[in-house]
Amino acid sequence: MPAATEEVAVKTSVKRKRQENGDQLKKRRKSAGSDGEELQAKIEKLEAEIQESKKHYNNIVTLIELAQKHNDDAKAALAGSEALCRIFIRLLAAGNLVKRKDVSEKEATVTSWLRDRLADYRGALLSMFRSENLALNTLMLAMALLKAEAQHLSDSEEAVFPRYFFSDIIAALLESPAEQLREHFSEKFIDKYDDIRFYTFEAIKAYLTDHEHVDEGVRDTVFEMLLSMEDVPESSEDLENFYIEPPQKKKHPLRSLSQHKKQAQEAWLALMQLGLSKEQRKKVLEAMATSIAPWFTKPELLMDFLTDCYNSGGSISLLALSGVFYLIQERNLDYPEFYTKLYSLLDADILHSKYRSRFFRLLDTFLASSHLPAVLVASFIKRLARLALNAPPSAIVVIVPWFYNLFKKHPLTTFMMHRVPRTKEEKDLLEREGLEDPFLPDEKDPMETRAIDSCLWEIVQLQSHYHPNVATIAKIISEQFTKQAYNLEDFLDHSYGSLLEAEISKEVKKPPVVEYMIPKRIFTKAGPGVEEKDSLLASLWDFGSS
Amino acid sequence: MAGSQLKRLKASLREQGLIGPQQSKKQKRKNAQDQKGKNDKRLQRTEALASIREQFNPFQFKTNARGPKFEVTTNKPVGDMAAMAIKGRPGLARAVGEERRRQTLLVEMQRRNKVGGLIDRRFGEDDPNMSLEEKMIERYTREQQRNHKKSAVFDLEEDDEPMGGLTHMGKPLFDDDEEEPARDDFDEEDLPSGDESDSSRAERRRLKRQRLAGAAEEQEEEDGQPERKKTKKEIYEEIIAKSKLHKYERQAAKEEDNELREELDKTMPELQALLFQREKPPSNDQKGPLDSIVIAGKDKAALDKDYDIRVKQLAADKRAQPAERTKTEEEKAEEESRRLKELEEKRLRRMRGEADEEEEDEEEEKAEKKGSAEGQAYDPFSTEENDEFGLGKGVKYRPTATELGFDDEDDFLIDDDLVASGSELELDSDDMGGEASEDEDAESEAGSDDDEFVKGILTEAESKDPVFQAAENAKGDDENGIPYTFPCPQTHEQLLKVFEGIEVTKLPVAVQRIRALYHPKLDSKNKERLGQFSQALVQHVAYLGDRFEPHWFPTLESLSRHIHSLAKSFPIEVAKAYRAHIQEMEQQRPLSLTVGDLVVLTAIGTTFPTSDHFHQVVTPAMLAIARYLGQKIPQGLSDYATGTYLSILSLQYQQFSKRYVPELMNFCLNTLCSLAHEKPREKLGFFPVHEPAAGIRIKGASKTTIRQLNCSDCQPNQSLSPEEEGSLKVAIISTITAVLKAAAETWHKLPAFYETFQPALLALQHLTSKPNAAHLPPALTAKLTDTASTIARLLQLARLSRRPLELHHHRPLAIRTYVPKFEDSFDPDKHYDPDRERAELAKLKAEHKRERKGALRELRKDAAFIRRENLRIKKERDAAYEKKYKRLVAEIQGQEGQAANEYAREKAARKRKAARGR
Repeated sequence: MPAATEEVAVKTSVKRKRQENGDQLKKRRKSAGSDGEELQAKIEKLEAEIQESKKHYNNIVTLIELAQKHNDDAKAALAGSEALCRIFIRLLAAGNLVKRKDVSEKEATVTSWLRDRLADYRGALLSMFRSENLALNTLMLAMALLKAEAQHLSDSEEAVFPRYFFSDIIAALLESPAEQLREHFSEKFIDKYDDIRFYTFEAIKAYLTDHEHVDEGVRDTVFEMLLSMEDVPESSEDLENFYIEPPQKKKHPLRSLSQHKKQAQEAWLALMQLGLSKEQRKKVLEAMATSIAPWFTKPELLMDFLTDCYNSGGSISLLALSGVFYLIQERNLDYPEFYTKLYSLLDADILHSKYRSRFFRLLDTFLASSHLPAVLVASFIKRLARLALNAPPSAIVVIVPWFYNLFKKHPLTTFMMHRVPRTKEEKDLLEREGLEDPFLPDEKDPMETRAIDSCLWEIVQLQSHYHPNVATIAKIISEQFTKQAYNLEDFLDHSYGSLLEAEISKEVKKPPVVEYMIPKRIFTKAGPGVEEKDSLLASLWDFGSS
Repeated sequence: MAGSQLKRLKASLREQGLIGPQQSKKQKRKNAQDQKGKNDKRLQRTEALASIREQFNPFQFKTNARGPKFEVTTNKPVGDMAAMAIKGRPGLARAVGEERRRQTLLVEMQRRNKVGGLIDRRFGEDDPNMSLEEKMIERYTREQQRNHKKSAVFDLEEDDEPMGGLTHMGKPLFDDDEEEPARDDFDEEDLPSGDESDSSRAERRRLKRQRLAGAAEEQEEEDGQPERKKTKKEIYEEIIAKSKLHKYERQAAKEEDNELREELDKTMPELQALLFQREKPPSNDQKGPLDSIVIAGKDKAALDKDYDIRVKQLAADKRAQPAERTKTEEEKAEEESRRLKELEEKRLRRMRGEADEEEEDEEEEKAEKKGSAEGQAYDPFSTEENDEFGLGKGVKYRPTATELGFDDEDDFLIDDDLVASGSELELDSDDMGGEASEDEDAESEAGSDDDEFVKGILTEAESKDPVFQAAENAKGDDENGIPYTFPCPQTHEQLLKVFEGIEVTKLPVAVQRIRALYHPKLDSKNKERLGQFSQALVQHVAYLGDRFEPHWFPTLESLSRHIHSLAKSFPIEVAKAYRAHIQEMEQQRPLSLTVGDLVVLTAIGTTFPTSDHFHQVVTPAMLAIARYLGQKIPQGLSDYATGTYLSILSLQYQQFSKRYVPELMNFCLNTLCSLAHEKPREKLGFFPVHEPAAGIRIKGASKTTIRQLNCSDCQPNQSLSPEEEGSLKVAIISTITAVLKAAAETWHKLPAFYETFQPALLALQHLTSKPNAAHLPPALTAKLTDTASTIARLLQLARLSRRPLELHHHRPLAIRTYVPKFEDSFDPDKHYDPDRERAELAKLKAEHKRERKGALRELRKDAAFIRRENLRIKKERDAAYEKKYKRLVAEIQGQEGQAANEYAREKAARKRKAARGR
């Protein structure tokens, strides 16, 4: 029975904690005298008495008071709450808190009194979440208590998940200042137990909908927490790790994946309805395809969000692209004029953007089909070629091999590289008037740009790029097309830094060529009587001597 | 053939005449008488028997079971058919194998578990063909020969030390015949020790001859005297004594020589310098009048010394050769222009990215490497288009090279003679510039190459040395406070220490002195030192650049040129220093370059050929520039100024090769848009626009005069007054405009010039539009309009000259054929594998298999042999045992029988006795 072992594990961990605390107390004892020792002894005594007989149940009140005063004496509060936790777990296990009909009035009074005290203790625990030092231990205590409650509080055979308490815990967790706490929680509980995750989603959703105004910090934490829950189970059979033994019923929501997903989806929607900041939006979009969309049973609900993002332009729309693509691919989303929109994304900044390689990976996927009209492909090629005239070398290095692949896939577009005037009139006209580029750069519709009638002078110009490798790569379009395709991954993810690094890291073995002529002047200007021309630099810059 | 085997045998025997009806006595006798035929007959008989045996043993031959195939197809004679049919002789082979095993394996078996033994290695021991006598004689001669080799040990005349000097394949390097005449050329007195190859063999031989002759003479003299005749013993003793004396004398002389040589070694650098001082006739001509001046000016001692040096130099120069014919001016000019043309052509080749012959391999390797990284589908060095491009350039640039003439020379040395004379030491760097230009003519007429230039320094250094020594303040300073001697700084820290007290503007003088003092010709370590020094110098230029003051620039220029000149001798060191600087710059401040960085980048641009397709220093430098231009989002005016400087610089880098720099366009256009008073309403082009920081846009600067930018504008964190800011902005706009114009002129031949510069035109027009022009000085507006019109004109030209691309006039690729190839003389036994490697592998495999099978078979046979042998031995042993056993049994039985008989006899005797007794 896994639950039992888990319980043992929790108990031992609690014990270990206590041990540690004991050690700390010992240390303290040495430094601060017998104060702590007394307290410890007192708590132990109180605990022992409670165990001995019901007469001493009033000691619980003393301990709760101790726990409630955690602002004054953290150690005492912790020790007290630990003792209380043990006491209540024992009481719960003994069934002292279960309301039964067949018991005497007196006993019923005791039971209800105990239940009230338990509520008090819960309150004390929740308030302890606010303290940064105690939060971690408190979480362990609360979870242990949660488990005990679930198993023993109700009369029934099966455990009932105490949602009221759990949602309080989650609320306290979200509001707690301790960052580490949440990490710990998601690591120890959410990632491990499917039911905890399920109820967490539920609790978050309830929290977000109940509170009128959720302040920025909490929203961020909720966001982080949701983002961290990214392992979407494959099927209902995968749901097998439970913190608290779930009801045996087959139909129980805990056992169905769709219910899990529904909870997650609602939590996300609740968060998104609160409105996201730009940064958060970027983060959501980045995680969309991998960790958010898979949670959604109805990803259609994301459509509006994604479409809005996609239409908003700039880097947001770049990021939204992958989400939209996910919907198109998985959910058959019909996005009208997708390619027009994609074409409009190719603006002056795209090649300088941080997300360039990400975009190119997607663009490569979108234009991978060989069934696209050549006119459209030509528009993309021409537009990117135009952009390449102002692009950094690392972008040009990607574009050109990609063009190559497109040329291979759409042979009609190769007219952009090789177009021989056919008639004599045509030739004469060329001689007389030259050639205006027929490409319409401002046209929005990629089907109407007339790019297919144009030529790639831009890439030919880049064949004389200052960087030798870029120039060489640009030359591939004028070589014979013998290679089947280039692997784009080899060309993505370059930057000025990496290019420089590649150059600098090479050892100088061969003596470099030195200019054979030592120039007469570098900074100074030639006198008025001298014939030679100043260098560009000397003539345009003032170096102090004229 | 019918009948049983036996019948057939009989028949064949009869056929051969081996058996037959019994012969009569007469016939027999007749046969016996026929003596001579007898032997033949026997031979015939054995042969016939053998053939019959063969015929009747069916296992003698291995044949094709069903007889030979396709009898008709062969054209071999019928007689061979039988031989052909036989494929092997297993019986014979087995017999041979058996025999071989008997010789090897059996021997081994018998030797097993036996150790020790003697091997007789004496000569001829195993040779049965030699008689004992012969063996003895042969052994004796060998022994004698062996002893004879060491006979030279006792030769008195033999020099006991090993042959001096080097040998090649056992022969001395200096052959006697060659040496003699060579020596004759020298004046013995001038060369007291010469370059004697000590104790040359010839001399030794001569001495020996003399000595023997002397001894003989003496002997003769003595003979002539009437005194008693000396005994042979005495004569020999005398000879021995004399030869010992001579030997001692020679040793003494040799020691003397050695001492002298050591002395000479010490003065070697001087001598060598003299050796190399020889100048070509034309320069001598030049120096003629100068010399006379020197004669007039210098004192006599110096003159004498000079003369001595000359004489020594002439005497010592054993490679003295007739000098080259004096060349006429035209010839020199032609030669020079040819050299320059060659260099220019090399530059063009590098620009097109074509490798030199010697670089070919390396380039290929690189291409391969690159190919593996980038897909390996193109050959970067074979575009015809490029060739055309390059050729056009070549034609254009050839005259320039000639025009440039002899400017190649460095002019740092000119003031060296000033240092030497010690009188006119006013070396202001400004002066130096002036003098440099004055002296240029003389220098360029000298038309000397780099080596000449190096020699120049050397001579100066040489002649300078005595001056220093003579002067009382040997380590003194000149009037400017620059010491004459320096330690050679190896690191930048050392350099800073050395240059501590020297004014920055005087640094070139100091550098020059260091270069003269530590010229590589003077000491073998100097090369390394100067290499380090040049690296430190590069660092120092950056260091000075960071702390620049406007009047330092001539100094920086001069230092950069010094570095350039050092780079000719130490290209790797200088390149490494520059690359280290770039690396440091890129790692620490890629987007906030200092003035020092700018100076270094400028120096790189002049030191190395920026037109090369790839260059170890220029390419990274260019990348660094482009990175700044492309990635820096300018925050303040200083960033704009820095960017402007870099734009100019990058354009200057590409002046010659006219390569396109996208970042330059981006930066210029962005700057114009940012500085304009108003933001352009619509997009001007595809360049990324960065929204400028507050206060960057120009405002109300219509009264400002246009000035040029200077380096202090590049330094950030300065508080500028609004006027200054305005003037700076105007200066930036004006410079950028000039840059755009220069760029348009540089790149107007590029195929996408129209698309590239259309945005520039728009930007310029935007600046000159009404709302913006109001905030600009009218002069600037005029300049903008002028530039705009230039660009518009160039754009129009570009539009007219544009043609559709025709990139793919390649020869169509042949489609691969898969038609099977027919082999004319197909042999089914042969393997026709087109894949050579696979074929070879198959061959090897087959061979391996065959060998393996053979080896296995051999091993099996060996095992069988061993078993058989063991069995035989066992049988023998058993038989022997059996025999012995039987013998013993028989013996015992015999004894028993004997005993029984005896007993019986005894019994019978007793019986009888008893019977008788009764």
